[in-house]
Amino acid sequence: MKFDDLRQGIESLWGTMSEGWDRLRHTAAGALTRFRPGDKTDLPQREQIDDLLYMPGQHWAMLGGDVYEDEGRLVVRIEAPGLEKDDFDVQVQDGQLVIRGEKRFEHESAEGRWRVLQCAYGSFERRVALPVAVRGDEAQASYRNGVLKVTLPKAEPAKPRKVDVQVS
Amino acid sequence: MNTLTQVKTTPPARPEPALLPPVDVLEDSTGITLYADLPGVPKDKLHLRVEGDQLAIEADLGLPVPEGLTAAHAEVSLARYRRTFTLSKELNADKVSAELSQGVLRVRIPKADHAQPRKINVQVA
Repeated sequence: MKFDDLRQGIESLWGTMSEGWDRLRHTAAGALTRFRPGDKTDLPQREQIDDLLYMPGQHWAMLGGDVYEDEGRLVVRIEAPGLEKDDFDVQVQDGQLVIRGEKRFEHESAEGRWRVLQCAYGSFERRVALPVAVRGDEAQASYRNGVLKVTLPKAEPAKPRKVDVQVS
Repeated sequence: MNTLTQVKTTPPARPEPALLPPVDVLEDSTGITLYADLPGVPKDKLHLRVEGDQLAIEADLGLPVPEGLTAAHAEVSLARYRRTFTLSKELNADKVSAELSQGVLRVRIPKADHAQPRKINVQVA
């Protein structure tokens, strides 16, 4: 591999996930997720991998998430590309939304060499703290464009509150 | 032998910073297959361009704030993906094909005819 590639490869790894690195750092807390490959993951053989920066066992990805709300519900969105909807296990547990999934390496690799292998594969778990109590048994989830969206009705829909603040 | 090198993204004309999507690149005797994680990108927001020997992947995230909702916690605030690659002369940049499924982009670039492995029939006299 040319030296040029090595240098650019280092830059493209965790050091700089974007040009706006400062901006990203503040918003990425919690998004960095560890993937653990298992027997079913089906990664290519080590001999077929030429990516000098690839480290077996070190699979990380940014699974960015958002939490939105209105009076009656919370909507949690997590980026998780390359899965099937049956690969997810979603639960509400102790005020957290726990999302578990398994991403298998399903690319053809019978012949050929992996020059770059940066995407993460294996099983992962992402937890998102929920700001209010929700009715977990009424939750609904959908998976589209690689984004898992979970809608959670709030346990106590917020009533508009009027608070009088005394100014002395 | 290396057929795909990543170009350092110099400050673009557009000042907006962008996310660099992780990729997997497989090279075999007939060409290159590239996989990129682009979650949240609908097909109409994905732009794939070949200019000379450069392959550019650019995509806008299609995750608008749902109407009537306010953000309690937002991590996905950079709304664009961008990554550029230099294709070696071995690759046929005219025959690029791509598909997008559940946030994973798959791009196939075959090697130019002259670079494909060719079986030569040997006549035995």
